[in-house]
Amino acid sequence: MAMDDRTIIAILFHWAIAILLAPLFVGIISKTKAILAAKVGPSLFQPYYDIVKLFQKGVVYSRTTTWIFRVAPVIVLAVMLVLALMIPFGIVKAPIRFAGDIFLIAYLLGMARFFIIAAALDTGYSMEGMGASREAFFSCLAELALFMNFVTLAFKTKSLSLSSMIGADAPVRWEVFGPSLFLVVISLFIVILAENCRIPVDDPDTHLELTMVHEVMILDHSGPDLAYMLYASAMKLFLFMNILVPIITPIYSHDAVVGVIVFLAMLVGIAVTIGIVESSMARLRLNRVGNLLLIAFVLAFFGFVVALWKTI
Amino acid sequence: MEDMDSILRFPWHVPFGELFLKLDPLNALFLAAVAVLVACSSVYGIGYMRQYKGRKPLYVHVFFYVLLAASFVTVLLANNAILFLCAWETMSISTYFLIVFNDERSAARKAGFLYFIVAHSGTFCLFLMFLLMAQVSGTMNFDVISNTKFSSGLSGIIFILALMGFGVKAGFLPGHFWLPHAHPEAPSHVSALLSGIAIKTGIYGICRVLYILGVLPVWCGYLVLFIGVIAGLMGVLYALGQHELKKLLAYHSIENIGIITIGLGLGLIGKSCNQPYVSVLGFSGALFHVINHALFKGLLFLDAGAVIQRTKTGEIDRLGGVAKIMPLVSVLFLVGALSICGIPLFNGFMSEFLIYLGLFNGLFCLSLNGVVSCVIAILALALMGALALACFTKVYGSVFLGIPRETFPPQERPSSKLMLAPMMILAGICIWIGIAPWTVAHFTFCGGEYLSRIPSSTDHFSYVMGSLPAVIMVLIIFIAVASFLAFMKYRVSRGTLVTGRATWNCGYPVDSPKFQYTSSSFASSIVEYFKSVLFFKRHGERIDGYFPRHMTMHSGVKDFFEDSVFRPMFAKAVHLSRAVDKKNILFTQMYLMYIFIFLIFLMLWKLRG
Repeated sequence: MAMDDRTIIAILFHWAIAILLAPLFVGIISKTKAILAAKVGPSLFQPYYDIVKLFQKGVVYSRTTTWIFRVAPVIVLAVMLVLALMIPFGIVKAPIRFAGDIFLIAYLLGMARFFIIAAALDTGYSMEGMGASREAFFSCLAELALFMNFVTLAFKTKSLSLSSMIGADAPVRWEVFGPSLFLVVISLFIVILAENCRIPVDDPDTHLELTMVHEVMILDHSGPDLAYMLYASAMKLFLFMNILVPIITPIYSHDAVVGVIVFLAMLVGIAVTIGIVESSMARLRLNRVGNLLLIAFVLAFFGFVVALWKTI
Repeated sequence: MEDMDSILRFPWHVPFGELFLKLDPLNALFLAAVAVLVACSSVYGIGYMRQYKGRKPLYVHVFFYVLLAASFVTVLLANNAILFLCAWETMSISTYFLIVFNDERSAARKAGFLYFIVAHSGTFCLFLMFLLMAQVSGTMNFDVISNTKFSSGLSGIIFILALMGFGVKAGFLPGHFWLPHAHPEAPSHVSALLSGIAIKTGIYGICRVLYILGVLPVWCGYLVLFIGVIAGLMGVLYALGQHELKKLLAYHSIENIGIITIGLGLGLIGKSCNQPYVSVLGFSGALFHVINHALFKGLLFLDAGAVIQRTKTGEIDRLGGVAKIMPLVSVLFLVGALSICGIPLFNGFMSEFLIYLGLFNGLFCLSLNGVVSCVIAILALALMGALALACFTKVYGSVFLGIPRETFPPQERPSSKLMLAPMMILAGICIWIGIAPWTVAHFTFCGGEYLSRIPSSTDHFSYVMGSLPAVIMVLIIFIAVASFLAFMKYRVSRGTLVTGRATWNCGYPVDSPKFQYTSSSFASSIVEYFKSVLFFKRHGERIDGYFPRHMTMHSGVKDFFEDSVFRPMFAKAVHLSRAVDKKNILFTQMYLMYIFIFLIFLMLWKLRG
């Protein structure tokens, strides 16, 4: 793949969008939750303030930790920044796309996970170990569901590149694959909730270490390290939402203004939906989370069966 | 690659035998893995065996080690069934003597004996298989046999025999149960060879047979694929439940054999459905993984050996914080762990990438059965990847990171450079293949085309390689971004860094390893979720009351096939032979007479026919 000027411009454009927009949607989710709970809630831009504030703070390292603990935030954020180049934003195709990019996306996420878990175990504290153990377990099932969705989408579009699989270059034909796509969308939505540690899998606002998953793993990070971690998780949420966006985009317009409005509206819509889900239900008991993820898998699997049945 | 078909022929006064060595693209690949890993483990062995100097007769060990290395090469190059079987037996016997090196331990003797029995039951199937081949073709030379047409039923039977005979060596379930006993008991450089090469000779045997047979019935491909799926999933699940470092790695070898077998199965399915892309991708992915697994598993075993030598224990729950006393070893282990989890930038990803690519291509162009098998294999690979990640974060986190769970014994001798250098070379090759995969992918590709018996074409190669530069470009961007972020973090936090504080413990200022999460607890959520297939056992008392007494508890994962199938079966067999022995056979003469009677029976049978 040659790196011509257009590719470089597209890369910079994608980075600009991901870096600038990502924390906003965390803000939108918490604003939605606050409004539904009849509170004023923090500003939409609170996540940005948090990150800026953390960059100005000092870093404290435990004597138990090794270099893994210091490297992990860098790797996790770098993975998310690279993934931002491989995921289409709305109907704008990803600047880097090739047959098989879905495997690289899945395994780069694995790389981030490896280091975040290793960093948690590096602190030598039981609560972080618990969070790491849960993360390792849930991600096994979430990965299964994610791959099942990839299989279904790839089978339908006969493509191995994420951009064409989810319809960033041509609209996904709902009238042909309607029922199957419907199942895929629900399944992907559950995967988004699980991978980004949202209710009902994990509660990002909890204050009890014993029950946390993602938050407890980054408990010992401070200052810029924590800023990296928070930025990375905001970006992960943004990227996962962007996997869903092209599938459900109703209007394909070549008019730039309409495109941008539709794109932002879809993202805000997903974020608000996540906020509503979070407000309307409690988190599941930890031993029930596995079943939720299996439901996501089974939905995607039935999506595949429906697609298969249509082709025979 | 055609000009690489080098031949060496000498007559040999054994019926049907001939000293016939031949190098082709298939065995050249395995030979490359043998060369690298044998060289590295030998150098490591010099350093590692110093601890036994003066206490054990090392020349015996060296003799069998060299014999093993020579028999690997002969097994791979042999182009005659008799020569192959001789080398195969030499390999099994020398392996036996290497496993029982620590023969004062009863576990080592038992492991060796188990290996001996399993290896020979496998060889029995191989004898039958080669006899069947020779009966049809009238010769024992692979070249001639491979030009013979076998009926589809017969080639099916031959293939089943090959799967049984070579499968127990390769560690297919349920013939895997010798592996987790033999690998931990052998000295570490031998474990590296056992896991890196010896089990791959089983894979090589299967490859050779399917090359010789040429056209196989369609069900063979599905059978191989499902063997791979089951071996892979069960291997990694059993590994998660292990408490001993080398035993865990041994179970992981079963998982990786599963991945290789999935690739082979896909290749076979593609071949029988006339889909050259799928076939070549499957075979070359499998061969690529053979090489990669030899490299990273060798590295991990050598590394585990260094840790065990220093800390005097392989129990994961008694280790911890090893990175502080062995920083270099811990970095090298991390390279191995990232490679085996298939993390991009390291070699494991590249072979899994090819296999995934083949499976997804199978999704597009195969018939319904093929599509369903591909989906199952894709899901199995995805789950294996995630479980392997859980397993290696467990190992790396519990052994190398955190607080030491027990005080380390005093260091007897400084860690030998002879042990570190080979590990560094292996780790270097792992990263090299991860960053420049086409250097090796080209050869595995030739091997894949050779196996699928499709004439070499640049068309296939460029199709597959089309994705690799893009992968590498992403990885280069990743490295650039990561270094930029690291630099930025360094600049921002330079003045405000505070080190040497305790981990935040919810306000309790206690810095104790007892607060640390153990590896068993880490794995327990997954192990208990899969307990319906894993047979998780817990012995001991439960805590009750406000002031619990001192008590002990033991938990672990039982190997179903070992404890519920083979152990009772062997017990029955021993019981039966004892019963026969008591009633009839009291003297050696009686044995001889039985043999005589059997001979007469055979002659009469022959006369009748």
